[in-house]
This record gives sequence, C-alpha cells and structure tokens, in this order.
Amino acid sequence: MKSRLGFVPVVATLGFIFLYVPIISLIVFSFNESKLVTVWSRFSTKWYAELLNDEQILDAAWISFKIGAISATAALVFGTIAALALQRFGRFRGKTLLTGMISAPLVMPEVITGLSLLLLFVAMESLFGWPAGRGLTTIIIAHTTFCMAFVAVVVQSRLADMDSDQEEAAMDLGAKPARVFWDITLPTIAPALVSGWLLAFTLSLDDLVIASFVSGPGATTLPMLIFSKVRLGVSPEINALATIMILIVVVGVVLAAWIMASSKAKSSTTY
Amino acid sequence: MTTDAISPFISEPWTDPSAKPFIRIRGISRHFGAVKAVDNVDLDIYKGELFCLLGGSGSGKTTLLRMLCGFDNPTAGTIEIDGQDMSHVPPYKRPVNMMFQSYALFPHMNVAKNVGYGLARDGMPKAQINSRVEELLAMVQMEGFGARKPNQLSGGQRQRVALARALAKKPKLLLLDEPLGALDKKLREETQFELMKLQEDLGVTFVVVTHDQEEAMTLATRIAVMVDGKLAQVSTPRDVYEYPNSRFVADFIGGVNLFEGRVTADEENHMKLQSPEAGLEIHVGHGVSCSPGQRMWYALRPEKIRIARDRPDQPHNVVEGMVEEVAYMGSLSVYRINLDSGKQIKVTQPNLDRAQDNPISWDQRVYVSWGSSAGVVLPT
Repeated sequence: MKSRLGFVPVVATLGFIFLYVPIISLIVFSFNESKLVTVWSRFSTKWYAELLNDEQILDAAWISFKIGAISATAALVFGTIAALALQRFGRFRGKTLLTGMISAPLVMPEVITGLSLLLLFVAMESLFGWPAGRGLTTIIIAHTTFCMAFVAVVVQSRLADMDSDQEEAAMDLGAKPARVFWDITLPTIAPALVSGWLLAFTLSLDDLVIASFVSGPGATTLPMLIFSKVRLGVSPEINALATIMILIVVVGVVLAAWIMASSKAKSSTTY
Repeated sequence: MTTDAISPFISEPWTDPSAKPFIRIRGISRHFGAVKAVDNVDLDIYKGELFCLLGGSGSGKTTLLRMLCGFDNPTAGTIEIDGQDMSHVPPYKRPVNMMFQSYALFPHMNVAKNVGYGLARDGMPKAQINSRVEELLAMVQMEGFGARKPNQLSGGQRQRVALARALAKKPKLLLLDEPLGALDKKLREETQFELMKLQEDLGVTFVVVTHDQEEAMTLATRIAVMVDGKLAQVSTPRDVYEYPNSRFVADFIGGVNLFEGRVTADEENHMKLQSPEAGLEIHVGHGVSCSPGQRMWYALRPEKIRIARDRPDQPHNVVEGMVEEVAYMGSLSVYRINLDSGKQIKVTQPNLDRAQDNPISWDQRVYVSWGSSAGVVLPT
C-alpha cells in the first residue's frame, strides 16, 4: 500500500487551519509583551492586568453582561411560551404563520433587524414618549426579540421529544394544568431552558450590529467598544479582551450543547 | 343464591334488566374530521366488572377509553359514571384513574413520589401519604423500592409501580390501556392472574383496552369487540368464542373455518345447510330462525373437528379430505386439510399420548367429522 496522506485528513486540516488560525494567533499575541501586535517579543500577562485597570472596558463589560443576563432571561420566558403554544395547544388559527414568524429572526440579516428596530423605537418615542432616547433599555428589547427565536427553537424540539403521556398521567391524578406544567413539563424541559438561556446570553454578548443601531449615549457594549478601539489601531489589550470573550462564549456554547446531549441520552435510556 | 350479594362476579348483572349500570354510555361519537373513530356507541358497564375493550388498531377502543378518562371530548352523546354525567368534566375532576400503556412514570421523581403524587394533589397530610404509599407498594410487592428512580426498575417493576400509582386514590373506576403490552410472554401470564386477583380483592371496576384476544379472554368478565368505531359484540368470553354473532367476531377471536351455505330444511329441533363449499349438507342440531333458501354461514372452530382414517359411525357431518400439512406444536397438532370440495380447513387435535404409533401425516386421506352442535350458524 502506498503511504500517502488521505484526502479527508488533508481537507479537514486545511479547514481547521482556515477557521482557527486567526483566533489562535489572536490568543497567542494576547500574551505578547511587545506593544506591537505583529511582533513577538516574549511571554507576558501584562495586557490582562492592564485590562483590569481600564475603567472604560470594565464599564462596557458590565453593560454587556447586564444586557446579556436580562435579555436572555426575558427571551427564555417569551421563547418558552411561544414553544408551548406551538407544541402543546394543538391546531389554532395562524399556527403556520406563527411557526414561520418565530424562526424568521434566525435568518433575517442583522442590519435589517437593527434598522427596523431603530425606526420602531424612534416612532414609539415620538408617539408616546417611551422608550425615552436610546440606551440600555432599547438594546435589551432588541436582544430579547432575536434571542427569543433561538430559545423557542431549542425548547420546542425538547417538547416534541417529551412523552405527553406523563402530562396526561399527572392530570389524571388530579393536577390542574398549571400544576402539571410546574411538576412535570418544567422539570422535563429544564435542560433545554438552561441551554436556551446560555445560548441567548452568548448571542447577546456577541452582537455588534443590532446593538450599534439601537444603542445610545452611555450604553456602549463590549463588542461596540472593541470595534471603535480597533478603528484607532489594534492594541494587545484588545487581544486580551477578545481572548476572554472567546473563552466565555466557548464555555457557554459547549455547556449548552453538553446539557442538551446528556439529558437526551438520559431520557432515552429511561424510556 | 346467597353469595350474590357478596360477590358480584358470580352474579351476572348484565342479565338483570333492573340492575343499575355503573357506567352508562349513550350514543357516544368521536369524529376527527371525516374519520369516525367512535361511532354512536351504547354501552353499560356494571360495578365490579373487569371489562375488556378488544379490537385491532384503529378500531376506536383507545379513543373510547380516552373519553372515559376525559382526555378526549365526545362529538356527541353522554357518559355517566356512577349516576353523574361526566361528558365534559376535566380529567383532574373525575373519580377515574388510568394506567398508561407507556406507564408514564415521572422520570424525575422516585417511586414513592410517583405513587404518592395523586394523594399529594388531594392535599393529604405527608405522614398519611407515606403510610398509604407503603401499603400500595406492599400490595404490588414492591416494598423497599420507594427511593428508586423509574429508570432503575425493570419493565415488570415499572408496570407494578404504574398500577400502584393508578390505584392510590382509590378510584371508583380504573382504566388500563394495554396494561401488559410491554411485558414478555411469561411475565404477562403471571401478571394477568395477579391483576385479576387484585381487581377481585379491591372490587374496583376495571376497563381494560387490549388488542390481545388471549389476554381479553383470560381477564374479562365481559368483552366488547370493537370494529370501525362500533361495538360488534358485547358478551362474556365464553359467549364471544362459542356464540359469535358475526363472521367478523368469529374470525377475530381464535381460529375458525367458515362454510357458506343455503338453508334446505328448517325444523324446530334441527336445520340443514346445503354447502357446496364444504361438499355436504351440514346438519345442525337445533332450530335457527331463518327461511328456506336463505344464505347463511357455518362457523366451525378447529378444535371441534375430528379426523380419522376410518369412516366414523355417524349419519351426518362427515366429509373426506387430504392432509396438506401438519404442524406439531407440543400440546397440540395443527392440520391443514384440503377437502374434496377444494376448500382448505384448519383442524387442531390435542396430543393425548407422548408416543403415537403411525400418526396421521402428510398426503393421507382422512375422514373429517364434527358433531351436530359443534358449529354456529351465522346470518351475517
């Protein structure tokens, strides 16, 4: 047999290089001592220390965190309600329309979502004075609307897998519908809720385009800050910040995937 | 009989026109669009019965059960349970509990929590729940399993827990959807008898849905055979088997040989059916209300036929045929015999002796015979 590299490993390697070399170089250079981003001098963590003293970055991080947490929570509530409506209430007028509308934000260009929300907020303000100006509130509302779609999809797929006999059994034993939801439905879909929340939080943390449209003075998110700073030239400090964000996002996504996978495996061995 | 009052199983309340039914179903229908899942069914079920709804898939038996426990609302008709109209009472307010085919145990709760769930919903104090749960687990021989999660139990154990949970609230009526469907054959037979004993001890009315005719025959006080959303026959297991009211029922329960024929003689103490299909004039030892020349069918169970090499000494119901196939099944042997008329019939004979000298075998000519009360005459 001729010894030569197979086609698949070569292509896979090239693919991984193409995808991850930029990120890896960013992470590597975040530990560079030199102020020049492209010239390696020696290992140092001084840019991470500098981050902690940068008031502006810490502020932006805190704002991003707040927006992420609040909009993920709101998206969780609304997304779950939407998923329940689609999965548990049988046929109703406009169900097909709702199904389509819920997944529309998944494919809608962010520029359009951002622009339309901006126009909406401006119109609302001139009509009844709320939300007054643009800032934290408008970003939270905007993020809630597009994260909701992701939560709805995740929760809906979990509900579809769920054995509705259990809900009927609880009702048969005397539990009213609300009680059935708390006792049976909620524990069963809990993994989907956790992973849906994590996904929404990560998406909110990542978003630059929509936030830029609907943000106002005093509400600069982390991606917005990084973007504006980079326009003045890339600094190793930004590399360090980006590395931390990558870490958070990776942890969030992996955790979400792991929770879903392990709960699925568990439920399939049970029944 | 003085035992009638004590044991409702010996008396047959359905034969007593003055007996008050426990469940009264009147004109019930459930339509899904153009599909009539249940179509205008009337049914009375009496207290203490173990009633089986038997039918193939799509016969409407499960829909009927779901209407009894309230998961489905009838399109038309009424359901009365214990004198109260239940047609539109939600499931959580009915004095009825159900054991699901999938058992539907709550996977995130342990066995004790599962069994006690209904009691907790009724607001029973904790200490009382605990002792009742103990009692129930003992009843289904699952003592000491209270702390286990459902996924740590075997199929048979889950079935017991599901049964205990369904009985926890002392329902007046217990509905069981294919209760033994998920168990293997041996376990199923054991569990059948346990289920019957439990039902007898508790005196709860059971309504069991099943597609397994053997299960229905073993368990039931009465069987309702369902087909296309209608009740084909409602009788005791013996009557359903020995006196089916149609070819469908005869064929659905057990094996049967059907011969088409025309009435040639119709007397008070016997009738005759000329059947070219069987190749003889069938003699029936009792009168049947029919008219001469009418088309009727003669249903004959395989075990009620005798086969022999020598012509048996009887005046009627003897034909000749050729053995096509023999299947040895242990307790009995099944023969496929081609009658001289061309019709193939199925005959079963018990294997009375271990060693059989010169048994009837392939390609042998035999005499096929049966008694004058062996079969049943069916107009439809």
